[in-house]
Amino acid sequence: MKILLSWLKDYIDINETPEKIADALNMAGLEVEAVIQPGKNLKQVVVGKILNKGPHPDADKLSLCSVDVNRGEPLQIVCGATNMKEGDKVPVAMIGAKLPSGFEISRAKIRGIESFGMMCSRKELGISEEHAGLYILPESAEVGEDIVKVLGMDEVIFEISITPNRGDALSHLGIARELSAIFNLPLHREPLGNDEGEGRIDDEISVEIHEDQLCPRYGARVVKNVKVGPSPEWLRDRLEKIGIRSINNVVDVTNYIMLDIGHPMHAFDLARIKGRKIIVRSAKSDEKMTTLDEQKRNLDPSMLVIADSEAPVALAGVMGGFESSVTEETKDILLEAASFDPVCVRKTAKRLAMMSESSYRFERGTNIDNIPIALNEAAKLLKNIAGATPVKGIFDAYPKQEILRQVRVRTKRVNKIIGINLTASQIETYLLRLKLETRKDGEDIIVSVPPYRHDLEMEADLIEEVARMYGYNNIPETLPAITSVLKLPSPLQKLENRIKQHLVSIGFNQILTYSFVPAGISESFREKKPLSLKNPLSEEQATMRTSLKWGMYDALRRNILNDEFNLRFFEMGRVFQPVAGEISEEHSRICLGFSGAANPNDWRRSQEPFDLFVVKGIIQNIGNLFGLKLKFTPGSCSLFHPAMQMEVTCEKTVVGQFGQLHPQFLDNRKMPKHIFIAELDLGLLADKNVAIPRMVAIPEFPAIRRDLALMVPKSANHRDIVKIIADEGRKLLEDHHLFDIYQGKGIEDGFRSMAYSLTFRDNAKTLTDEEIQPIIDKIVARLAKELNVNLR
Amino acid sequence: MSESHTNLLQQYHSEKKSAKTTAELEALRVKYLGKKGEITQQLKGLGKLPPDERKARGAEINKIKTEIQESLETSMRDLALKEQEAKLQAEKPDHSLPGLFNSPGTLHPVDRVAQEIADIFLSMGFFMAEGPEIEEEYYNFEALNVPSHHPAREMQDTFYLESGQVLRTQTSPVQIRTMEMLQPPLKMIGLGKVFRRDSDITHSPMFHQMEGLVVGEQISMSDLKGTLIMFVENMFGKRPYRFRPSYFPFTEPSAEMDIQCIFCEGKGCKVCKGTGWMEVLGCGMVNPRVFEAVKYDTEKYTGFAFGMGIERIAMLRYGINDIRLLFNSDIRFLRQF
Ligand SMILES: [Zn+2]
Repeated sequence: MKILLSWLKDYIDINETPEKIADALNMAGLEVEAVIQPGKNLKQVVVGKILNKGPHPDADKLSLCSVDVNRGEPLQIVCGATNMKEGDKVPVAMIGAKLPSGFEISRAKIRGIESFGMMCSRKELGISEEHAGLYILPESAEVGEDIVKVLGMDEVIFEISITPNRGDALSHLGIARELSAIFNLPLHREPLGNDEGEGRIDDEISVEIHEDQLCPRYGARVVKNVKVGPSPEWLRDRLEKIGIRSINNVVDVTNYIMLDIGHPMHAFDLARIKGRKIIVRSAKSDEKMTTLDEQKRNLDPSMLVIADSEAPVALAGVMGGFESSVTEETKDILLEAASFDPVCVRKTAKRLAMMSESSYRFERGTNIDNIPIALNEAAKLLKNIAGATPVKGIFDAYPKQEILRQVRVRTKRVNKIIGINLTASQIETYLLRLKLETRKDGEDIIVSVPPYRHDLEMEADLIEEVARMYGYNNIPETLPAITSVLKLPSPLQKLENRIKQHLVSIGFNQILTYSFVPAGISESFREKKPLSLKNPLSEEQATMRTSLKWGMYDALRRNILNDEFNLRFFEMGRVFQPVAGEISEEHSRICLGFSGAANPNDWRRSQEPFDLFVVKGIIQNIGNLFGLKLKFTPGSCSLFHPAMQMEVTCEKTVVGQFGQLHPQFLDNRKMPKHIFIAELDLGLLADKNVAIPRMVAIPEFPAIRRDLALMVPKSANHRDIVKIIADEGRKLLEDHHLFDIYQGKGIEDGFRSMAYSLTFRDNAKTLTDEEIQPIIDKIVARLAKELNVNLR
Repeated sequence: MSESHTNLLQQYHSEKKSAKTTAELEALRVKYLGKKGEITQQLKGLGKLPPDERKARGAEINKIKTEIQESLETSMRDLALKEQEAKLQAEKPDHSLPGLFNSPGTLHPVDRVAQEIADIFLSMGFFMAEGPEIEEEYYNFEALNVPSHHPAREMQDTFYLESGQVLRTQTSPVQIRTMEMLQPPLKMIGLGKVFRRDSDITHSPMFHQMEGLVVGEQISMSDLKGTLIMFVENMFGKRPYRFRPSYFPFTEPSAEMDIQCIFCEGKGCKVCKGTGWMEVLGCGMVNPRVFEAVKYDTEKYTGFAFGMGIERIAMLRYGINDIRLLFNSDIRFLRQF
């Protein structure tokens, strides 16, 4: 909202600098976003009169002028413009002047001739982008006068952002009231219009309110014989500086009243009000109306309308109707000032998507007492500037007089909440500065809240007023003297932090992707039918993710398109899965993404791409961090390569899966082959009980180690081999692991060589080879018999 | 010593001098001390000498033998060491080759800043609470004193689901859920994703907030100030700050906290729009209506709450000029943190 300093001065004699005023408003909670001072950077520029214009002796395109600036001898000025003639008045930047561009005028010699200043264009004054020659001023401009004053550029405009609770501050009066409280200055204003005039209002119009809950008060006044036309200069000037287009004197007056005292008004062409009757009622089911913006609107009974005896003529508090609007032919006018229910106005404006200055103010609450003031003020203005004749009196429909709200403010409570120590009288002083009516009741103060302060409903609201006046920055600083109940991080929070640290230390970059994904993503990225947003920003962000895999794929894809191939990413976040009915569940997940070389920094090895086992190892290790034994079985996710994927199980619960993205899928998108994605449910992992480790004695007796090199046919797999080894090794087998696989030269087709290292130990005595050999023999025999695996 | 023996020794020494390798030394050993070596031959020849001569000559030869033996051993050791050294030197690799390692990854800048902020509050005795991201309208609005059709809803443009639930627009519902579960005194923070229908270079439809709540029997605005100043000083260093009145439906009185611009030290720049101040958080005393919603005794308990946008702080901290970079997963961006 824009506020003019000169307009504020109608109400308050304030002489502080614009900066100080802005600062004070800021510190009172009325955020000043900008202070615009068009003339601020324009110094020593005055009105000059060209006495003489002649050619420059040495330059065809320059002229030499003698200019009177009412400061002794005329100035000799060299000028490149051509649009001026002798006798013209122009802005002259004198020596020492500073222009908005930062340019400073100094004595200069131009082609050998001295020049004592510069005649300016609009652009040079910073008031327009056009550069069409000198700014020729009106004849009335006084020679020597400061140009800032002549052009009305000494205005100060505050751009203020008003919080939704402060409807009372949406006007010049409202801001002046705040300043009066802050600076402790009296608030005054010129005498307002009165309800005098000719004739009787009752003969002109009558008002009926059918919905007094939604319209507690409706005031109407009639002015006759209006000459609709342009507004006078001062009115146009004020509106334009605020950024409101001047339309005609009638519309301008209603806008002016709104900006002045904050009450929205409307003007009807009286001749078009059928039956000379205003009815405030709910719209009928199939009713239609064309609004001022010439849009045909479908109304419904939730909307409040102003109707004449036949049809709606305005949407209450939102916008007037086209039919009844003021035109150049209008002679008599019905002025409306009313009070409408904020929620009703808001709903109607929202439903029809037509926010207006009027609805904006009604939603935030207006001053019901302002209704007659607004009407009388408008009638007076129309009389003055449009030659209108007001009809005597106001038709004031006000069925239930509003009672002022009373709020009790307890001194103790004020001090407790703010953390200060004021007396009841000090508190009262602050409240009085805000023009609140107060009454003392012992240590309590009873406040009567004026009808414009809709935000002051309870004690806490008044405590804020006291704090504002006391100054937030004067409140002392202490620390809370409490010890909170203890709540340790949840197992999930701990798990998440540990995994994050681990993954970062082994080279993963954490990513964050949007929780919403496109509606059209491939089915294979989904686990369930996703929840849809009712009002998404775009189709790209229309459904809630059911898995993190799509976001991960998309992140990998976009980097690959940037020629970044070696990637290891992880994301932690929630997915959203509908369960029965409309209920949804949130699950914490981790997703890992792999692309390119598994060890890009290892120059000793060839740049091998990620494969299933590198990924499996990383997943396995996440389990190891928490002592969780993860099991891996072949997976069946359609997103993945049918053979290159696994499902991860922990204590019989499926906790996730991983695999290489399906080659066909990647091929279709021209993506490289080796992209792996893994996803684990962290909630399920966090639920698993991690046993507290119990120390086991360090072995006293030596171990015996045996290696087995086996020829393994395709039909046999590692798991079966290990099962036999473990079966036969029994208690003595302390450890076994695969340490080499070889295929190729020297190995028969269809076979691989697999080497296992077995460690035997007896905790009670030193083992001998003789004790081990029978075990080895049994293992070898069973491997041969059951799996067709033989020693190499 | 006999002349022949002196000559023999001289001859040995001159030959040893020219021996450059352990192999050459070995050849010398064979020549003098080997089975057929000169010293061995001479010792063998002793038997032919008369006994009185044999003894003196024997002693002389043995002395020469010992001298040669020791000399050979010493030289052998020296040379062997040198050869070993040379051999090791020959193994010298290209020291300028890079080390073998998996370079560490990076935490996301938002997560990194969030952890820094959380650490400060956790050190001050706060605990961390969580809540759902798909939230009931009640928790996101009504319980926080934002009735439907209140203009305050305009401050936060909301995403709705078909079920009528909302994507939470703030982390404040976590306060409500925590208070429903626990009785005061409590000091909590809540951290998480929030969603608003807004998208440009400073607004993202999804971002992160940190929320804080302190409730007890004697909590005042001065406690709010003290706590938040302590936070701000630990996060941004000691610098001027100010509290401005503001409006949030769930706090009353409400405030916004500014710190002196970290880019221009208060002189005014583009980032602070020339004001010299940067807004870092919103805060206030918990509105009694919020306590009513969670059935806390509004006379007995008072409290303060605060909230801040993590992205904003991350952007200030790392000089990030477009919020969308945070969610683009561009490795060229991510690896900088
Ligand atoms: Zn700055």
